[in-house]
Amino acid sequence: MKKIKIITMIVLIILITMVSFFGVYTQVQNRMENQVRDYALDMDLDGARYVRLSVNKESTDVIKDADGNEVETDEEMTDEQLSENGYTKESVPNNSEDVLTVENYDKTKKIISERLKSQGAGEYEISVDNETGDILVQIPENENTDSLVSNINTIGNFEIIDADTKEVLMDNNDIKLVNVMYGSSSSTSSGTTVYMNIEFNKEGTKKLENISNTYVESDEDTSNTTADNTTTDNTTTDNTTADNTTTDNTTSEENTTETTKKEITLKIDDEEIMTTSFDEPIENGKLQLSMGSSTTDVDTLQDNISQASSIASVLDSGKLPIQYDMISNEYILSDITNTHIEYLAIAIGIVLLIGFVILIIRYKVNGLLSAIAFIGLISLYLLVIRYTNVSVSIQGIIGIIVTIILNYIFINKILATIKKSEDNKKLGTIKEGIKESYKEFFMKLIPICISVIVFCFINWTTISSFGMVMFWGIALIALYNYLITATMLKVKAEK
Amino acid sequence: MKEFIKSKQLKIILIALVIIAGIVMIVVKGFNFDLKYQDTQRVELYLKTEFNISDIRQITNEVFENQKVMIQKVEVFEDSVSITTTSISDEQKNNLVTKINEKYGTELTAEDTTVENIGHTRGRDIIKPYIVPFAIAVIIVLIYLGIRYYKLSIAKVIAKSIGIMALAQILLFSVIAITRIPIGRLTIPMVILVYLLTLFGITTKFEKDLSKKKLEENKDKSKKK
Repeated sequence: MKKIKIITMIVLIILITMVSFFGVYTQVQNRMENQVRDYALDMDLDGARYVRLSVNKESTDVIKDADGNEVETDEEMTDEQLSENGYTKESVPNNSEDVLTVENYDKTKKIISERLKSQGAGEYEISVDNETGDILVQIPENENTDSLVSNINTIGNFEIIDADTKEVLMDNNDIKLVNVMYGSSSSTSSGTTVYMNIEFNKEGTKKLENISNTYVESDEDTSNTTADNTTTDNTTTDNTTADNTTTDNTTSEENTTETTKKEITLKIDDEEIMTTSFDEPIENGKLQLSMGSSTTDVDTLQDNISQASSIASVLDSGKLPIQYDMISNEYILSDITNTHIEYLAIAIGIVLLIGFVILIIRYKVNGLLSAIAFIGLISLYLLVIRYTNVSVSIQGIIGIIVTIILNYIFINKILATIKKSEDNKKLGTIKEGIKESYKEFFMKLIPICISVIVFCFINWTTISSFGMVMFWGIALIALYNYLITATMLKVKAEK
Repeated sequence: MKEFIKSKQLKIILIALVIIAGIVMIVVKGFNFDLKYQDTQRVELYLKTEFNISDIRQITNEVFENQKVMIQKVEVFEDSVSITTTSISDEQKNNLVTKINEKYGTELTAEDTTVENIGHTRGRDIIKPYIVPFAIAVIIVLIYLGIRYYKLSIAKVIAKSIGIMALAQILLFSVIAITRIPIGRLTIPMVILVYLLTLFGITTKFEKDLSKKKLEENKDKSKKK
């Protein structure tokens, strides 16, 4: 019975080891495929998306009037048309000499870093060439990468302008924060609507209040209209001026309804996002813009959230002081190759083998059983790391090595306690010995456990990788040794 | 003499010497940063075929001689190579292109091969993401140690713990500076390893001291009885 129990456990360990180190292969379309999940690797081990940004050196033609003010026009004007209107055309560099400073390169780096962080990039590296201003951004290659890349060199110029006069009413300097919210729609339609919430600073709040008082859509009933086809030239309502007023006149025989509309246009990077007016004054300094229509479809909702988060991240991080061009965007593998990892694994294997020999020499059969159990723990540990989606980094590999060392110390402690009790002819105290070893070992491990748990919650892949790897390692040391190693040793000691 | 070798004083003197030497080295020469974090130059070559890094390494050893070189495969087809090194002269670029053409039968030209400048990564940017996690972890650990070993005097326990943790890290960076081990991807793992070892060491020491203290207290109690 005693032998059967031990053999069953050893067979189980062999099985786990086979699965962990060699995999489970099934036929998939004429080829054999390993069904055991692969390791998720971080940027240092898996490679990264390298995005190179270069300072834009191009110029843009700007048309100016006789007073030197910029004229906005969509149509291409010939030289004759320009001179007829008294306009001049100037070629203005997109990045003037005075913006190309080390401070602005550094500011750009900070803004890009903010954008990556707010969009959930778990790790990234940004290096700046202080002479040319060229930037190299490295981000992990995953399903989120393209979305991150698309925002890296977006200027993020936010403007609320008067739809008619194009006067800039608000800009990036008025923004306090931008985030994404979502909520249920009104009773008329079911589903969820995604909102981009723009919160303005003190000055911005005042400006928004003024704008929302001014740019309103108002209906006015004009009674006592006697003549057909009455035309109202000027309509004066509160907070509107004649210049900026669009007047739609509807005339009936009995009365006239006039709808006056003053609208603002919201622009991001010169692209019109929306043109609207306000129903009521906004006094709390918060502007909520709905992104996409209300939906119950999860994919559409996800798209809306992703789009809104993307814009929110760009606006929240601020406006890039320099215009950059993306000159390359490619995935480059790590210089740490599989060969390096294999060498490391072989080195760890050799050290472990020496460790096992020492255990067997010192503790005989108990040492051998513990060594077999140890191999099972490592196999199970590597499976757990793969199935818990832990991203393995260099720090994570250190975590694995530390876990193996800790388990060796623990096993050695248990075996030493058992040997001590056997030498003292106290065979009945193996259980107590193991219990005592557990207590003593894990009391010493509490500070490490605290640190590991803290690291698990950090949103930086390399450190969380270490935390997660160590967390599962320590949990396995406690559970596996209780269920397998201790049981094997107890069964062996049974008479 | 034997007593001196075993003494605490010798250990203190040795540690102080290592730290002083480390500080001198940092002031005079600074840290030796890994190629990945230095100002570098990079070329990318399209080889049209899969290749072995060891073959490219052979070529770069001939072209760049003693310069540190980082070789990486590019994109999923792995048929382009990225070569990064401290600096690439026109002569080296010509040599590299010629040797690659000879080896892989490509028709690359030095004129079409662009050398990109890559700025360095600042040391503070490397450690920045780790400051908050470590600060939080250390504070919670100190609170725990203070509570768990209050019998050994909270102030002493906390002061000793901070002192040993700081000393261990200073010692580590002194050794890194003296031995010129490059500051790179292995630096943070080393810091973490030393931090864990320190924690384990501190706890083992305090556990021992606490057991001693408890034994003494028990002896005192039994004497009183």
